[in-house]
Amino acid sequence: MNDTKEIKMMTPFTMVLLLAMALGFVVAIYRLVNGLGAATNLNDDFPWGLWIGFDLLGGVAMAAGGFIIAGTVYLLNWKKYKPIVRPAVLTAFLGYLMAVISLFFDLGQPHRIWHPAFMWQYHSVMWIVAMHVMFYTTTLAVEFSPMVFERLKMHGLLKFINGIMMGVVLFGVMLSVLHQSSLGALYLIVAEKLSPLWYNSLIPYFFLVSAVAMGLNMVSLESIISSKAFKHKPHMDILQGLARGSIITLGLYLIMKVIYLLQGPGFAAIFNGSMEANLYLLEVGGGVVVPLVLLLGTNVKQGVNGLLTVNILVVAGVLLNRMNIAVFGLYGYGKSMGGSYFPSVMEFLLTLAIVALGIFLFKVAAKYLALFPEAEMQT
Amino acid sequence: MSKAVLIDLTRCIGCRGCQIACKEWNERKARRTSFHGDYTNPTALNSDCYTHIRFHEQEKNGVPVWSFVKNQCLHCKEPACVSVCPVTALKKTEAGPVVYRYDRCIGCRYCMVACPFHIPKYEWESALPWVQKCSFCSERIKDGMIPACIKVCPTGTMFYEEYDKVVAEAKNRLNRSPAKYVKHIYGLEEAGGTSWMYISGVPFEDLGFKMNIPVAPLPDLTWEYVSHVLPLFGITFVAGLGAWVITRRHANMNKEG
Amino acid sequence: MTNHWIDIRNADVILIMGSNAAENHPISFKWVTEAKQRGATLLSVDPRFTRTSAKADIFAPLRSGSDIPFIGGMINYILQNNLQHNDYVRLYTNGPFLVNKDFKMPGELDGIFSGYDAQKRKYDKKAWAYQKGGDGVILQDPTMQDPYCVFQLLKKHYSRYDPDTVSAITGTPKDLLEKVYQAYGATGKPDKVATIMYAMGWTQHTVGTQNIRAMAIVQLLLGNIGRAGGGVNALRGESNVQGSTDHCLLFHILPGYLKTPKASQPTLKAYNDKYTPKTSEPLSANWWGNYPKYSVSLLKAHYGENGTRENDFGYSWLPKLDDGQNASWLMIFHEMLQGKFKGFFAWGQNPTCSGSNAGKVRRALAKLDWMVNVNLFDNETGSFWRGPGVNSADIKTEVFFLPCCASMEKEGSITNSGRWAQWRYKAQEPSGQSMPDSEIINDLFYRVKSLYENEGGTYPDPVVKLDWNYGPKDADGKVTQVDTHMIAKEINGYFLEDKEVKGKLYRKGTLVPSFAFLQTDGSTSSGNWLYCNSYTEKGNMMARRSQEDPTGVGLYPEWSWCWPVNRRIIYNRASVDEFGKPWDPARPVIQWNGTKWVGDVPDGGWPPLKNPDGTANPKSKKAFIMKPVGVAHIFGPGRNDGPFPEHYEPLECPIQENPLSKAHRINPTAKLFYEEGKTPEDIFYSCDIRYPFVATTYRLTEHWQTGVLTRHQPWLLEMMPQVFVEMSKELAADLGIKNGEKVKVTSGRGELWAIATVTSRFKPFKVMGSTVHQVGLPWCFGWQFPVDGSGGDSANLLTPTIGDANTMIPETKAFMVNVEKI
Ligand SMILES: Nc1nc2c(c(=O)[nH]1)N[C@H]1C(S)=C(S)[C@@H](COP(=O)(O)OP(=O)(O)OC[C@H]3O[C@@H](n4cnc5c(=O)[nH]c(N)nc54)[C@H](O)[C@@H]3O)O[C@H]1N2
Ligand SMILES: Nc1nc2c(c(=O)[nH]1)N[C@H]1C(S)=C(S)[C@@H](COP(=O)(O)OP(=O)(O)OC[C@H]3O[C@@H](n4cnc5c(=O)[nH]c(N)nc54)[C@H](O)[C@@H]3O)O[C@H]1N2
Ligand code: SF4
Ligand code: SF4
Ligand code: SF4
Ligand code: SF4
Ligand code: SF4
Ligand SMILES: [Mo]
Repeated sequence: MNDTKEIKMMTPFTMVLLLAMALGFVVAIYRLVNGLGAATNLNDDFPWGLWIGFDLLGGVAMAAGGFIIAGTVYLLNWKKYKPIVRPAVLTAFLGYLMAVISLFFDLGQPHRIWHPAFMWQYHSVMWIVAMHVMFYTTTLAVEFSPMVFERLKMHGLLKFINGIMMGVVLFGVMLSVLHQSSLGALYLIVAEKLSPLWYNSLIPYFFLVSAVAMGLNMVSLESIISSKAFKHKPHMDILQGLARGSIITLGLYLIMKVIYLLQGPGFAAIFNGSMEANLYLLEVGGGVVVPLVLLLGTNVKQGVNGLLTVNILVVAGVLLNRMNIAVFGLYGYGKSMGGSYFPSVMEFLLTLAIVALGIFLFKVAAKYLALFPEAEMQT
Repeated sequence: MSKAVLIDLTRCIGCRGCQIACKEWNERKARRTSFHGDYTNPTALNSDCYTHIRFHEQEKNGVPVWSFVKNQCLHCKEPACVSVCPVTALKKTEAGPVVYRYDRCIGCRYCMVACPFHIPKYEWESALPWVQKCSFCSERIKDGMIPACIKVCPTGTMFYEEYDKVVAEAKNRLNRSPAKYVKHIYGLEEAGGTSWMYISGVPFEDLGFKMNIPVAPLPDLTWEYVSHVLPLFGITFVAGLGAWVITRRHANMNKEG
Repeated sequence: MTNHWIDIRNADVILIMGSNAAENHPISFKWVTEAKQRGATLLSVDPRFTRTSAKADIFAPLRSGSDIPFIGGMINYILQNNLQHNDYVRLYTNGPFLVNKDFKMPGELDGIFSGYDAQKRKYDKKAWAYQKGGDGVILQDPTMQDPYCVFQLLKKHYSRYDPDTVSAITGTPKDLLEKVYQAYGATGKPDKVATIMYAMGWTQHTVGTQNIRAMAIVQLLLGNIGRAGGGVNALRGESNVQGSTDHCLLFHILPGYLKTPKASQPTLKAYNDKYTPKTSEPLSANWWGNYPKYSVSLLKAHYGENGTRENDFGYSWLPKLDDGQNASWLMIFHEMLQGKFKGFFAWGQNPTCSGSNAGKVRRALAKLDWMVNVNLFDNETGSFWRGPGVNSADIKTEVFFLPCCASMEKEGSITNSGRWAQWRYKAQEPSGQSMPDSEIINDLFYRVKSLYENEGGTYPDPVVKLDWNYGPKDADGKVTQVDTHMIAKEINGYFLEDKEVKGKLYRKGTLVPSFAFLQTDGSTSSGNWLYCNSYTEKGNMMARRSQEDPTGVGLYPEWSWCWPVNRRIIYNRASVDEFGKPWDPARPVIQWNGTKWVGDVPDGGWPPLKNPDGTANPKSKKAFIMKPVGVAHIFGPGRNDGPFPEHYEPLECPIQENPLSKAHRINPTAKLFYEEGKTPEDIFYSCDIRYPFVATTYRLTEHWQTGVLTRHQPWLLEMMPQVFVEMSKELAADLGIKNGEKVKVTSGRGELWAIATVTSRFKPFKVMGSTVHQVGLPWCFGWQFPVDGSGGDSANLLTPTIGDANTMIPETKAFMVNVEKI
C-alpha cells in the first residue's frame, strides 16, 4: 500500500509538467480571447492542423488500450491482464480527455460543443464522432470510477458500479470499435484531396487496426515506464502477451497496407522521394515493419528495453500515421490552393500542455488512487 | 423546382461587377491587398469574398488567351459540406441554395475539409468565427429577386433558371456552337451534379478547374461506412456478449469441476 | 456616337480599336455579346491584349501612335479589292467631287499637303478647294474615274499604305492586318454592316482627329454610316461628358456647337455671317444655314429682356477669343506656370493627376494666388501644396474647398454617348454642408453680381445683365433654390411673345416644340438649340421610360430623349437607296412608304432622291444635312492638318524618321510647347537611348479616372491596389525584371515606381526592321490615397504637354519611357 503513496509529487519533472501546463493555460486563454487565427497557423487551405492530427486523432488512438484491455479482462475473462486494466482505462480516459480538450480549443464556437447532442446529423461522421466522444468519455469515467469510490470509501456506489461493469465495458468496446474507425471515416470524403498513399475506402478499418496496435503498445509502454518510475517489477508475461497481440495486429495491418498500396498508387509511389513518400516510409517502416521484425526476433520479447523500443516505435508510427492523414497527406492539396501550414508555437505549446496534463493526472492518480493494486500486492 | 445557374465563360469580360455586387449585398469588408502581377485579387476566396474572378493567362500558338473565371459555391445537388456538418448548420434548400445557419455551427470546419471545390471559408481573424460562403443569395431568391451577382452582370454570363432548363440551355449552346465550346458541362456530373454549372471555350483543366472530382456524389463515399455503423455496433455487441457468456460459463465450469 | 449603345447589337462586324470597351464601357458588352450571339465578328486592335481582346475573334496588336497607317492600309485594301459600296459613295459622299488640279498630296510633297506654311505651322486651306462650275456648283464625276475626283485622290493617297509599309510602321504582322481588313472590308455589301467603337486610344494623339477621320472614311466607303449596326461611335467618357460638350464645356464652342465669338467679330451680324454657311449645291439642306436662329435664341436665353434687337441681343456681352487664341486645357496650365493666372477654379476635376505632364500642372498651381476646389472630396489637386516633394512653406497659393454633393444627391439630366439625355432623380439628401454644383454657382453668381453692382468693375454687364430664372426668388429677386427643371426648360427654350409659326399660334411663355420653330427676331429663346424638343409642353421628354420598340431594331424612341429631335441614328437618310428603300431591309432605320418616312426620326422629311419611276425628285435633299455640300466628307477640307489623314509619328517616338515622309516626323500642324532654354518641362525625347520604350496609359474597370471616387472605395482598391506597368516577357527578360517586382519608370518629365506585370499580353513589335518594346500603365493612382502611399502616383507624371492639331487633347497614349529595376 505504501510505495505508490510514496511517489514524490514535487520532482523537477513535475515542475516541468506544471510549467508546460501553465504555458498551455496562457495559450488557451489567448486562443479563447483572440480566436483561432491569432493563436494558430491554420488557414483556409489548412483548416485542420496539429490539434486535430495529433491531439484528437492521436489522443483517441492512444486510448485504444482501454477498450482492448477492459474487453479482454471483463468480456474474455482473461484474468492475467487484470493488473493493467486500471492504468489502461485511465490512459484511455486521459487520451479522451486530451481529445476533448483539444477539440474544445479547436472548435471555432467551443461554447457550443454540446450542439451535436441536440442537432442530429447522422450522415455526418463528425456527428458520430462527437456522440462517441460524449458517450465513451462517460463510459470511461464509469469504468474508472471504482478507483475513486474505493478511495472515497463509497462502498455502495462501488458495488453498484461493479455490478454493471460488464455492461459498461461491453458498451465501451462497441463504441470504441466504431469510434476508432469513425475517425478514419472522417477522411472518406476527401477522396481527391488526400494523398492516395493513405486514402482508400477502407480507411476506417485501417484506423481501427492501427488503433489496436497502438493501444496494446501504449499499455505496454505505460506499464514499463510506470514500473520504472514507481519502481515495481513489470509483469513480463503480460508484456509478452501484449507483444504477441502486437505481432498479430501489426502483421494484419502491414498486410492491409501492402495490399492497398499495390491496389492504389503502386509500389513505386513510396520511393519517389516526395515528402509524402518519405513520411509514408518512415511511418510504415519505423512504425510497423521494424517493430514486427524486432518482435519476431527471439530475444527482443525477453527484455523490457527491447519491448520498450518496440512500443515507442509503434506508438510513434501510429501517431505519425494520424498526422500524415490529417496534415501531410493533405499538404499537396492545400499547397496547390496556394496555402502552407506549419503549426504555430502556440499550437505546439497547447499540445504539449495537454500531454503534460495527461502525464500529470496519471501521476496524481498513481499517487492517490489504487492504480496498480496488483503491483502493490506483489511487493 | 430548384434554381440553377449556367456560367457561360465565353461571355464573361472579367469586369468583376459580380465580385463587387456580392460584397455589397452581403456587406463584406475589403482586405488589404497588393498588386502581384496578375489581376486576380483577392487571390483566393476568403470569408469576406464569396466570389471572385480568376484571371487565367495562357498563350496558344503565340496568341494570348485570357480567361475570366467566376468562382463561388457550386451548390452541389448532394453537397459534401452538408453531409459532413455534424449539426446541420449547412443545408441544401429545395430552392437550390446550400445555406448556412449561424445559430447551429460549432466551428469544426469539417465542411471546409470536405468541400471538393474548396469553397467554405473561415473567419480566422475573429474570436468567434463563422464559416462563410456564397449563399446563392437565398434571401433574395426568397423575396423573388435574382442573385446580386447575376443581376449586375452586363453580359448575361450567368443564366439563371430552373435546374432542368439550365441543363437544357447548356446542352443547347454546346450543340448550337460546337466550335465555340469544349464539349463538357462542368458541374453536370462533377460531385454528383451541382446547381451552378459552367461551359467554356477553353479546356477546363487550363482554367484551374478540378478535373478529378468523383462523379458519384461525395456523401456516398461516407454513406457506405455510415450505413455500416449500426450493423457494426450490433456485431460488436453480439460478439462481446457472446464472448462474455462463453468465458463466464467456462470459468464456472472450471470452478465446479 | 452617331448611333447608340443598344444599336451595337445590330452589327455584323465590330471593330474595337482605340478603346477598351470591355473594361471602360462594360455595359456596351451587353450589346457586343448580343451581336456575337447573332454571329457577329469582333475585332480588337490595341497595343496590348485587353479584356476586350480576350473576347475578340481576331486580335491585332499595333504600336501606340500608328493607327493612321493601320486604317490607311485598310482603306487601301478596300479600294484595291473593290470592296467599297459604290452607290453609297457616289450618292452620299464627296467621292465624285473634283478637287483643284494643283492640289498636291504628301506623296508628292514629302509628307505635307499643298498650302503649308512652315513658319506658322499652318495650312492655307484654300489650296484644298473643289473645282466649281460657273454657278458655283462643285464639279462632279459620278463615275468617279476622273483623276482629280476625291475617290481617285483617295486611292492615290493610300496606295502608299501598302501592307509592307503598314506592317513596318505599326509592327502588326501582315497576316493579322490582312485578316482584320478582310473581315471589316466584307461589310461593303449593302446588306452587311460594321461598327467601330473607339475612344481615347484614338483621340489622345497629336493626330487624334485624323485617326477618327480615317475611320469615318472607311465607314463611308463601306456604306456603314446612318445604318443600324453601323456608324462611327465614340464611347464617351465621364458619364455626362456628351452633355458637357453639347453644353459647351470647351473653350471654342457655345452651347449646341455654336462658335465662340472672336474679337474680330464685333457685331452679331459679323458673327452670324462668319458662321452661317452658304451653299450653291441644289440638293443641300445646309442645316447650319439656320445658325442665326440658334445664336439669337441662345442670346435670348442668356440675357432675356436685357437683350434687344437694338443691342444685338447682348452679343457684345459674350466673352470673345482673340483671333488665333488657343485657350485649351493644355494652354491654361502652360500659361499658369508662366504666372499669367491669378486664380483658378478646379471644378470637378483633378488635374494634378489627370493632366498630361502632371508635374508641370502641380508646379503651375503653385504660381496662383488662389485656387478653389469644388469637389466631393479633397483630392491631389486641392492638396497639391502638401504633395510629395513640395515644401508647403514655399506655396503662396490660398486654397479653398467647396464641398459639393454627388450625382445621386441631386436631380437633373445626363447625356450618354448615344446622345440620350436621361433624367434622373435625387436618391438621397446631400451629406453634411455639401451643395449641388448648381447651388454653388447660384450663390457665386449673386455674390459676384452684387460685388459688381456695389463696387463696379471693368465690365459688369456680362454678369449683371444675365437673365437668371432658375427657381423661386426672394424679395431681393434672388433665386433661393435652384430648380433643375427650370434650367432644363430654359435649355429647351420658350416663346417669348405670341408667335405664329407654320400657321399655328404659340402663346408667349410656352415651350418651343423643336428647333425648327426657333426665330432670328428674338421671339424665341433656347439655351441649346440641339436640346430644343427635350422639354416641351408635352412634358419632360428626358424622363420618358417607355420600353416600346416599334421598329424592332432597338431604337426605343420613347425611352428618354435623344438629340437632335429624338433622332436615334443620325445621318439615317443614308441608310436607304435613292428610292428610300433600306440598303438592308432586314435592319431598316427609316424607309419611304410612298408619302412619308417611317421608322426613326429622319434627317428631315424631304422625299427620297428619286421618284418611283426613276426620275430625280427636285424636292429631295441630300443625306448629310449638316454639311453645306449635303454629302459626307471623304475629302475633309476643314481640318487643320490636311484633307486626308496622313501618318505622323507621336511627339516622342522610337524611330528616327517617319517612313512615309522624311521631312515631317511629327504632325506639322501640332502646337509645340518646347522652347529651347525656356520651357524645360516640355522637353521631349524621340529615338533617345535614355527612353527606349514606347509607353501608353489607360484605364482600369476597377477605378474611375484619377481614382478620387474609387481609391477610397475599399472593395475597388482591394481589386486594384497599386499602380503597375505591364510589359512583355521578352522585355522583362532583357531587363532582368520579375513579375510582381517594384520597378522605376521614367520619362523626360518625371518618374514613378510601379509593380512590374510581366505578361504575354504584351509583345515586342518589329518596327522598321528593329525590335520596339511597348509598356503600359494605368493612370488612376495618386499620392494622396491610400494615405500610406501604397497606391503609387499618377502615370501622368510621365506624359508630355502636346495636343492634337485640331482639338488640343493631350497625347497621353504614346510617349517614350525607360523602365529600370530598383
Ligand atoms: N472603369 C472606367 N471606365 C471609364 C473610365 C474610367 O476611368 N474607368 N473613364 C471614362 C472616360 S472619361 C473615358 S474618356 C473613357 C475612355 O475609354 P477608353 O478609350 O476605352 O480608355 P483607355 O483605357 O484610356 O484607352 C483605351 C485603349 O487604348 C489603347 N491604346 C493606347 N494607345 C493606343 C494607340 O495608339 N492606338 C490604339 N488603337 N489604341 C491605343 C490602350 O491600350 C487602351 O486599351 O472611359 C470611360 N470609362
Ligand atoms: N495619362 C492619361 N491622362 C488622362 C487620360 C488618359 O487616358 N491618360 N484621359 C483623360 C480624360 S479622357 C479625362 S475625361 C480626364 C479626366 O480628368 P479629371 O476630370 O480631372 O479626373 P477625375 O478623376 O474624373 O476628376 C473628377 C473629379 O470630380 C469630382 N466629382 C465627382 N462628382 C462631382 C460632382 O457632382 N461635382 C463636382 N464638382 N465634382 C465632382 C471627383 O471627386 C473628382 O475629383 O483625364 C484625362 N487624363
Ligand atoms: S461547392 Fe462545396 S460548399 Fe458549395 S455546396 Fe458544394 S460542397 Fe458545399
Ligand atoms: S464548421 Fe460549422 S458548418 Fe462547417 S461542418 Fe462544422 S459545424 Fe458545420
Ligand atoms: S449568388 Fe449571391 S452570395 Fe453567391 S456569389 Fe452571387 S451575389 Fe455572392
Ligand atoms: S459581372 Fe459578369 S462579365 Fe463581369 S466579371 Fe462577373 S460574370 Fe464576368
Ligand atoms: S456607366 Fe455605370 S453601368 Fe454604365 S458601364 Fe459605366 S459603370 Fe457600368
Ligand atoms: Mo474622358
